[in-house]
Amino acid sequence: MTSDAAKRATDKLVFQVHINGRIDDVWREITRTDAPQGCFFNAVLHTTGLRPGGKVQMRTKSGGNTLVIGEVLEFDPPRRYAVTFRFTQYDDPPCKVIHDLREVPGGVEYTLTVEDVAAGSKTAKDMTGGGKMIVNSLKRIVETGRPSLATRLMYKMFGLMEFVLPKKCRSKNWPL
Amino acid sequence: MPDSMDAVFQALACQSRRQMVDIVKAAPGCGVGHVASFFPMSRIAVMKHLKVLAEARLIVSEKEGRTRRLYFNAVPIQLIYDRWTGEYSALWASQLTDLKHRIEAKGKGP
Repeated sequence: MTSDAAKRATDKLVFQVHINGRIDDVWREITRTDAPQGCFFNAVLHTTGLRPGGKVQMRTKSGGNTLVIGEVLEFDPPRRYAVTFRFTQYDDPPCKVIHDLREVPGGVEYTLTVEDVAAGSKTAKDMTGGGKMIVNSLKRIVETGRPSLATRLMYKMFGLMEFVLPKKCRSKNWPL
Repeated sequence: MPDSMDAVFQALACQSRRQMVDIVKAAPGCGVGHVASFFPMSRIAVMKHLKVLAEARLIVSEKEGRTRRLYFNAVPIQLIYDRWTGEYSALWASQLTDLKHRIEAKGKGP
């Protein structure tokens, strides 16, 4: 099995959850630009326009650092939002992040798919842990109005510890 | 009753199904045939087990043309973990599981 994993150049990760809520609320959380995204490490989405070809960035709440850069591939409210995705602090090639929303009895089925991740890369490692966290926080926010206490404390820490981010993350290096 | 924990525990309360999760996790995007090759049971029986796992969302299957690709979904297990494990208990519990894994690995020898 390990040889199988070693042979793959890229990986695909899938995270799926059922959310007791309205599809529009889920869509609003993942595409909001007016406040930090509680489902995405409290980062703020900056964009030149949410349409195919539009540039997107996830910046820290202060705006001082840029964590992720990408470009919109698909924007089909409230069903599908797909972007290219690259962490500014790593030299890994961009991967693809796809959000799929589907109305099901009793709520929404939300699927986060990460494609073309270089196998064994830092991006792959971060996305494996990060994906679970994004999906769970999103469920929590839509169902209860805010992330869990542990997540909120972590976000407080992020704010205080922003200075530990590598210099290459500074937003001045990443004009939109 | 979508996404109930009952479905997750029920799905995992079976050794073959737990092995199926291991197999899919190790080979993301594999097909039913790949999973079936590990078991002496019929392909139909394997598909029944996979259906139980899919209903619990432990496995997500995607159609790609005429084939079905299977992926492990860690979220239901994370939800169980979140429910009973806080930041502090996670630290100590993981110390104990690390110890268990270390000692048991030693027992197996090189």
